[in-house]
Amino acid sequence: MKMLARFSVNGEPHEIAVEPHWLLVEILRDRLGFTGTKHSCGVGNCGACTVLVDGVPVLACMTLALAVRDKDITTIEGLNGGDGLHPLQEAFVSHGAIQCGYCTPGVILTAKALLDRDPDPSEDDVRHALSGNICRCTGYVKIVEAVLAAAAVMRGEAVPAIAPAERSSPVALAAVRGEVDTHV
Amino acid sequence: MSETFSVVGKRISQPDGPAKASGEARFVADIRLPGMLFAKILRSPYPHAVVRHIDTTRAAALPGVAAIITPDDCSEWNTFDRGMKDKPLIDGYRVPPEEAVVNRRARHFGDAIAAVAAVDEHVAEQALLLLDVDYEVLPFVIDAEEAMLPGAPQISDVAPGNVAKHFDFPFPEGDADQALSDADLVVEGTFRTPKQEHCTQETAACIAYVDAGGRLNVWSQCQLAHLARRELAHIFKMPVRKIKLMTPFIGGSFGQRGALCAEPVCVALALKTRKPVKLVFAREENFVGLEGRTGFDRVDVRMGFKKSGTLTATKTYMVGRLGGYMGCGPMASVIGMALVMGHYRCPNRAGSSDMVLTNTPMAGAMRGFGNEVMSFATEQLVDEAAEKLGIDPVDIRLMNAKQTGDIAALGLYLESSYLEDCIVSGMKKFGWKEKRSLRKDTGRIRRGYGMCTMSHCTGAAPLYLEHSNALVKLNEDGSADLTVHPAPVGSHIWGALSQICAEELGIRAEDVNIVTGDTDVTLFEYGSDASRSTYAIGGATLRAAAQAKEQLLAHAAEMLGAEMADLEVRDRRVRVKYRPEVGCSVGDVCYDAIYRFGGDATNFSGKQSFEPEWNSPIYGAYFTEVEVDVETGRVRVPHMVVAMDCGKAINPMAVEGQIEGGVQQGLGYALTENYAINKETGVVETTNYDSYKVPGFLDMPKCDIIIVDKPDPKGPFGAKGVGEPGMVGIAPSVANAIYDAVGVRLRELPMTPERILAALEEKERAARA
Amino acid sequence: MFRLLRPFEFHEPASVTEAVALLSTYGDGARVLAGGTDLVVSMKKRELAPEHVIAISRLAELDFMELESDGSLRLGPLVTHAAIAQSPIVRTHFPMLATACNEVGTPQIRNMGTIGGNVCKAGPSQDTPPVLVALEAQLTLVGPAGERIIPLDQFCTGPFCTVLFADELLTQIRVPPIPTGGAGCYKWCTKVTATDETLVGAAVVLVVDQDHVCRDVKIALSSVAPIATRVRGAEDILRGRQLTPELIEESARMAAAEARPRSRAEYRRRMVRVLVGDAVNQLWRQCVGSAGGATA
Repeated sequence: MKMLARFSVNGEPHEIAVEPHWLLVEILRDRLGFTGTKHSCGVGNCGACTVLVDGVPVLACMTLALAVRDKDITTIEGLNGGDGLHPLQEAFVSHGAIQCGYCTPGVILTAKALLDRDPDPSEDDVRHALSGNICRCTGYVKIVEAVLAAAAVMRGEAVPAIAPAERSSPVALAAVRGEVDTHV
Repeated sequence: MSETFSVVGKRISQPDGPAKASGEARFVADIRLPGMLFAKILRSPYPHAVVRHIDTTRAAALPGVAAIITPDDCSEWNTFDRGMKDKPLIDGYRVPPEEAVVNRRARHFGDAIAAVAAVDEHVAEQALLLLDVDYEVLPFVIDAEEAMLPGAPQISDVAPGNVAKHFDFPFPEGDADQALSDADLVVEGTFRTPKQEHCTQETAACIAYVDAGGRLNVWSQCQLAHLARRELAHIFKMPVRKIKLMTPFIGGSFGQRGALCAEPVCVALALKTRKPVKLVFAREENFVGLEGRTGFDRVDVRMGFKKSGTLTATKTYMVGRLGGYMGCGPMASVIGMALVMGHYRCPNRAGSSDMVLTNTPMAGAMRGFGNEVMSFATEQLVDEAAEKLGIDPVDIRLMNAKQTGDIAALGLYLESSYLEDCIVSGMKKFGWKEKRSLRKDTGRIRRGYGMCTMSHCTGAAPLYLEHSNALVKLNEDGSADLTVHPAPVGSHIWGALSQICAEELGIRAEDVNIVTGDTDVTLFEYGSDASRSTYAIGGATLRAAAQAKEQLLAHAAEMLGAEMADLEVRDRRVRVKYRPEVGCSVGDVCYDAIYRFGGDATNFSGKQSFEPEWNSPIYGAYFTEVEVDVETGRVRVPHMVVAMDCGKAINPMAVEGQIEGGVQQGLGYALTENYAINKETGVVETTNYDSYKVPGFLDMPKCDIIIVDKPDPKGPFGAKGVGEPGMVGIAPSVANAIYDAVGVRLRELPMTPERILAALEEKERAARA
Repeated sequence: MFRLLRPFEFHEPASVTEAVALLSTYGDGARVLAGGTDLVVSMKKRELAPEHVIAISRLAELDFMELESDGSLRLGPLVTHAAIAQSPIVRTHFPMLATACNEVGTPQIRNMGTIGGNVCKAGPSQDTPPVLVALEAQLTLVGPAGERIIPLDQFCTGPFCTVLFADELLTQIRVPPIPTGGAGCYKWCTKVTATDETLVGAAVVLVVDQDHVCRDVKIALSSVAPIATRVRGAEDILRGRQLTPELIEESARMAAAEARPRSRAEYRRRMVRVLVGDAVNQLWRQCVGSAGGATA
């Protein structure tokens, strides 16, 4: 039987009727349209579904939606308060830390939580903090570089890499966004 | 040849980077359409069974179930060709028409035998449990050599002894048997390599719907979009014009999406329901319902050498495990045999393979496509020969290396080889000589240093259809639209193509807009495969851009009152070479041509159909340091150097990324990934990341990547490919390093602690005897 | 091969008493949900299909971490592995517990999963049970009839089996202090990769005096028996004897012989020998080197 539940996602309140057996990943992706959170292994081993709950990285595919009522949930879409790219996102782009992009939201959010806790992590700290996130494309090398670079920018010790001028995403795909139904 | 490029060779970030970083990038599963149904596949719990009957009554009665497909429904469709890309020149390769949309006889654990479409995923999951299946369980066989024995369960009507395909090596030379018997030294071994699951982070998925115009629209992850369209047309008996196939972002492929994956079931349900249908595999379904890397139960290799170290002969026999259906797996054997010798001169070569059906999930193409199998064998045997002959492993490779001008692996002229540069630069970075001359450790932890070389193809000419197309048009502001259809699997191909296009046109990479992902819009494209995209699609792009540029210059010549030959385009300006102040912007020229009222308005464009007649091999040298714990058998890899000759790096950051990704997959192949099937039940035991372990952040070595960066004469701006080879040399260099550390050679992958300990014990027993 | 869960009724009791009452009502048809890292996976795999889920993660009375004046640690079942691993109290006084908790799963799993959930799952290959067994932890179970206290090594009776009744709730884990002059550590190896499941875990508490005599020792292993188990034969070899490397080797070999692994048996036995030997040698140096005190 559905329960009316309040969720705070990326700073915005949402009230949804939720079945108890619905997972957080379903609410975020299918009910609220935040498809940046990905569904991959389903058993807690890959981190693709990582979101921040009260600033702490948790797995949305292993969390009941009702369990996080009234908590502050941050998805990749809300990383910079919706205001351009966060230094982590910029660093991932400019350091070639993104290939297929499927693991990227989970990795960036986990890295964000690390830097909130420890603004000056070592490479080892970064690897340990991200050890619950699997990437099959990059070999992890440039991800680590990007996190360390972003940390330096956030500490005010470095200037972000010069981003190229406005790039357009391929034409055929722009049509896709228009077809997305965000609310059922 | 030293050229200064404005855009090529720069570490420019990818156009799709921001969309992926912000979560806006849409993958198949992220797309929603009004009225969409959700599909799920019912999979056989038995490795070999006939589906006598499926009672759909209970499932059909479940509210929200819209359609059910059983094997009875499949007679209205054709079977499909999992080897759809394989129409090579050799041996008239054909896949028998045996695999249906869902199958009456399940040939492996996880084979698709029914499917449902329902209003949402919850109902679809529940409906599966309400399908009542009457199975006739059949005897099964897991091992390829067992499958070849008389009396083994027969899996196909057209594969006697379960041998789906026998190949004789298509590029034989000399007389290998004679040369082996004449050789001063023969080294030989029998090797065994496993299936590897690609583990793309995005599982297989598809959306299909029939639009208001009666056309089938498909959101597909297939790397070969136009071939996928053709294949779907064949299966569902529709003309190609009735199918529109679209490619969204793809969450990794590594060769697995070179065949249809979720498409056939998804399309079947869409046609049946006349509603949009989305099918997304659960992770376990990727492990059992898709092709994995082809594993070989036996790889026998014999190599003959002169005392001097000159390689004189090689002969190979391979037995491959295909799984329940024949797809492109058989090709892994001949491609492996061909490519592995791509960097060795060897006047006597022979080989053959038997590719065998087994009641296991399917084998197909994964990064390397057989080269990694043969390299694991060959590069260890070469090391063995080097040791026996008292030659350094580096020197034996240098002395036998193919040179520019030789004939390359697939029978074409060898356009460029900088293998020596790879070896020399890699040695220096790694400290090879110093490290190899260190005294051997004798304690519990023993360090070892190993190396290997490899070569790989760029594209698969002349074996495969290498047909690519590019269309370039110039806009009135001096920007360009480039219409191409590579697979956006994460390889940064859009960036590379925009850099190639921009370099040729004299504009910036960000001035190039990629138009892609829709078979209605893009010209025929074989697709992304065999490390070909930059070389072949880039080759088409370069030539199409050149055509557009020629038109631009002709018009500019008129505008400027100059000779065309005196003009050049630099920094978005057309100008006179010796008087650069005379010129105008590219935009001005384009604008002038478009907005004309003289009856001669034109929009500059170029279109190139391109089928490279060459195949410029990629070369690599790999240097690996390992630490072996002789008490526990555990191997740690602290450091790896990979030096690659992949021609001119269009984008060095992207090239490094490909190699680094290859290191992760290669280490998984070498050490950690163990695809396990229960011998008693035929059930796949490793169906998720909890039991199938891919290397993570804490499992990686320090990687030093060296890009030799010397241009190839045929590739666009000198580029060759680099998608696959990153992983090819990992397992052999690790194996050679283990030998250096503890004196044992492992001939089976993955090189687990137990296998290392067993080899150490065997060595000790042999020493005592 | 399912991604989603089957429906159930959801209950969120406001107190332990209410939770116990719900468990009494629904019995075997109910499952307690804390962090969810085990229950949700089991439900996805369709190994479990409870009709009622009793969600206790908001019960503040079950979330505490207190160091008592006698040096013992009282843990509420809802404390996450991450909280334990990062706690200065635990790292100072029970570092082997911090080590074990830091080894559970991945960082995300540690943020979600609770010590109570881990203990009640009673899986043979988990990291915290052998540590808690070696430290002789005691569990407080609350049911309709009241409270009872059970030592952890009597709590588990078999793989995934405990003496917890269907209408009982774990409310506290009490960990006595490490004996004066003693030290403890947890050593493990994983199955394959660094963040993989534990293949063998060895938790050792050792008390050695300045004459190198072993006053007391506890060795508990995971993954080599149906439940986390003390290997008492190995302990007896050391207890009361003066330590030497050869004696430790003998004890390690006995630990390997007492282990009863099912799969990868030979390798697991080898790793028991290696890990127990490593642990005891390290703790011996530590006890004698300093005046006792904890290590990891």
